[in-house]
Amino acid sequence: MGEHIVQLERATKAFALPEGGTITALHGIDLDVERNEFLTLLGPSGCGKTTLLHAISGFVQLDAGKVRIDGDDVTERPPHRRPVNTVFQNYALFPHMSVGSNVGYALDIARTDRKERNQRVGSALELVGLGGLENRLPRQLSGGQQQRVALARAIIARPKLLLLDEPLSALDRNLRQAMQIELKTLQAELGISFIFVTHDQEEALTMSDRLAVLNKGLIQQIDTPRTVYDRPTNAFVASFIGASNLFEGTVRRSSASTTVATADGLQIEAACAGGWKPGDGAAATALIRPEQFALAGAGATGPTIEIAIEQVVFTGLTFQIHGHTASGRKIVAIIAAIRRADVAQAEKDGKVRLGYDPAAVHLLPDDAPAANEAVAGVAA
Amino acid sequence: MGSLRNVGVVGLFGYTILFFTFIYLPIVLIVAYSFNADPINMMNWSGFTFDWYRQIFGLKNTVSENALYIESTEQLLNALRNSLTVAAFTTTIATVLGTATALALYRFNFLGKKFYRVLLFAPMLMPDIVLGIALLIFFVGAGVSLGLKTIIAGQCSFLVSYVFIVVSARLAGMDRSLENASADLGADEWTTFRRIILPQAMPGVIGGALLAFIISMDDLVITYFISGVDTQTLPIFIFGMLRRGIKPEINAIATLMLLFSFAVASLGLYFRSRRG
Ligand SMILES: Nc1ncnc2c1ncn2[C@@H]1O[C@H](COP(=O)(O)OP(=O)(O)OP(=O)(O)O)[C@@H](O)[C@H]1O
Ligand SMILES: [Mg+2]
Repeated sequence: MGEHIVQLERATKAFALPEGGTITALHGIDLDVERNEFLTLLGPSGCGKTTLLHAISGFVQLDAGKVRIDGDDVTERPPHRRPVNTVFQNYALFPHMSVGSNVGYALDIARTDRKERNQRVGSALELVGLGGLENRLPRQLSGGQQQRVALARAIIARPKLLLLDEPLSALDRNLRQAMQIELKTLQAELGISFIFVTHDQEEALTMSDRLAVLNKGLIQQIDTPRTVYDRPTNAFVASFIGASNLFEGTVRRSSASTTVATADGLQIEAACAGGWKPGDGAAATALIRPEQFALAGAGATGPTIEIAIEQVVFTGLTFQIHGHTASGRKIVAIIAAIRRADVAQAEKDGKVRLGYDPAAVHLLPDDAPAANEAVAGVAA
Repeated sequence: MGSLRNVGVVGLFGYTILFFTFIYLPIVLIVAYSFNADPINMMNWSGFTFDWYRQIFGLKNTVSENALYIESTEQLLNALRNSLTVAAFTTTIATVLGTATALALYRFNFLGKKFYRVLLFAPMLMPDIVLGIALLIFFVGAGVSLGLKTIIAGQCSFLVSYVFIVVSARLAGMDRSLENASADLGADEWTTFRRIILPQAMPGVIGGALLAFIISMDDLVITYFISGVDTQTLPIFIFGMLRRGIKPEINAIATLMLLFSFAVASLGLYFRSRRG
């Protein structure tokens, strides 16, 4: 018995397309999931998240590679003999069965004693806030309620591993937050490992022990939420998680400082404390998160960037300042709401000088997306 | 402008009335005249009577012997019995075979699957006359004596297609991920089939069976060819009556068949609404 609940070894899967050719959904993925871990998969639509889950549950047969669950090689094992339960992206509730029969299905298959079964169905429904709805049919429930039935159905057999494919996507904000807490509690109580797919960054950052960012069938980075946010390994991860300002350019390195010189004439200073230390002349992209900018007063000493303000958005806690540099490069800065007066002044001036701490600038190897894509994350 | 619009509306309304009159008037007349007392001229209303119904069921009535076509109620009941026997067998056989075929084509991929599907559609498109003659030649050539057995076998040859198509349509609307969900929760293939696929296919199976039953009861052309001389089904019997002139009992028989069809169709709709 290994310490990993799931191990993927060079998992590869390509689908044949009806119009000819193939699409590679999994590109030789290696993945170890710890026991009791809450692992989140994050990535753009079509990057292979569902395929990855299905490779573990057995609905997708790998072209190459191995799947181990709890130390056993299950690569050749059919889905019904794998100790895994799934919350499907489209719920997949049985339309001809009542909510109670849906939730109790796994126990019925396992021929659990009637009394225990009913009691467990009741408490599973209670847990997802649907107590007393046993006799409804799935189509008599709202989308969010159906999603919670799917959740109750998947946890009732207490699997070692639960795969959740966007299980909270149909819920409103309050319910979603309540369910997030329930899921975390459940995971801790039952000692189940979770592999959780979501499109919601905040959810991914707050819930996970580790975060795996996928793109085009490859894991781009897998680490704790903090590390992924603060030290993304490449520009894709940086722009996918959180909002980011990316400055791609050439490294100028001297004994005193490291700067990235961009083609449009900006010099971004980086302290390079920890992380990647590129040599002089290397291609690199500097990342500055919007919240790392500050309004630079008259006597500012650190490096600054001047921008023309296009728009200021007040979100309650913060101001989002959208603007561009003299060369037209888009910049986003987030300023705490207590700087109300200074922001108002900057808005009146139509321009503002933003300061940043070189220690907070993170350098990435140069595979940056086009400059105008760099701030796309802000909208999310 | 407004008046032109009005003309259009009135025109459409009139057209609709005419259309439905054309479809339903003959049927309404048949039902109405099945209660007409005049024994000679059907179109001449001369009072209300149940006599034609009494006559069909062999009850006492006031109709003079020579006004009647049915020489014995025996004949009529015999034809009805034949029709019901045939329909019972063909419905059962066609439902089992059609459903099994539909499930097999839904579940498995095999070489020539598309071709197979086309072959299953073909009997529905084939002209009845051609199918009737072909079956007749086949049975005679094979040395099978014509009778109930050949009717059953012959009708099954195209009823299977009807059931297959109805059940297939039902299966096509089914969500494949439900099978995944079932397997995910620990059910093997057989359990998944029994608890997930079959219950959902059921409305299609019942619909297909009812359709097969009605078509079997109703079939004249093909059955006529393969029934032989001694065996009469209800449609063949009625057709025979018509050749000797239209008599009032036919109205009563037609009305009863109409009622029966309604009952079967309602049953079908009831199952549909219940099993979604
Ligand atoms: N059965 C299939 N046949 C062909 N292509 C498939 C099949 N399943 C998935 N794909 C393709 O594989 C790629 C990965 O699909 P997958 O469902 O894993 O994406 P995903 O990351 O779950 O996306 P989403 O966030 O939209 O759910 C996609 O390009 C998809 O079109
Ligand atoms: Mg998906």
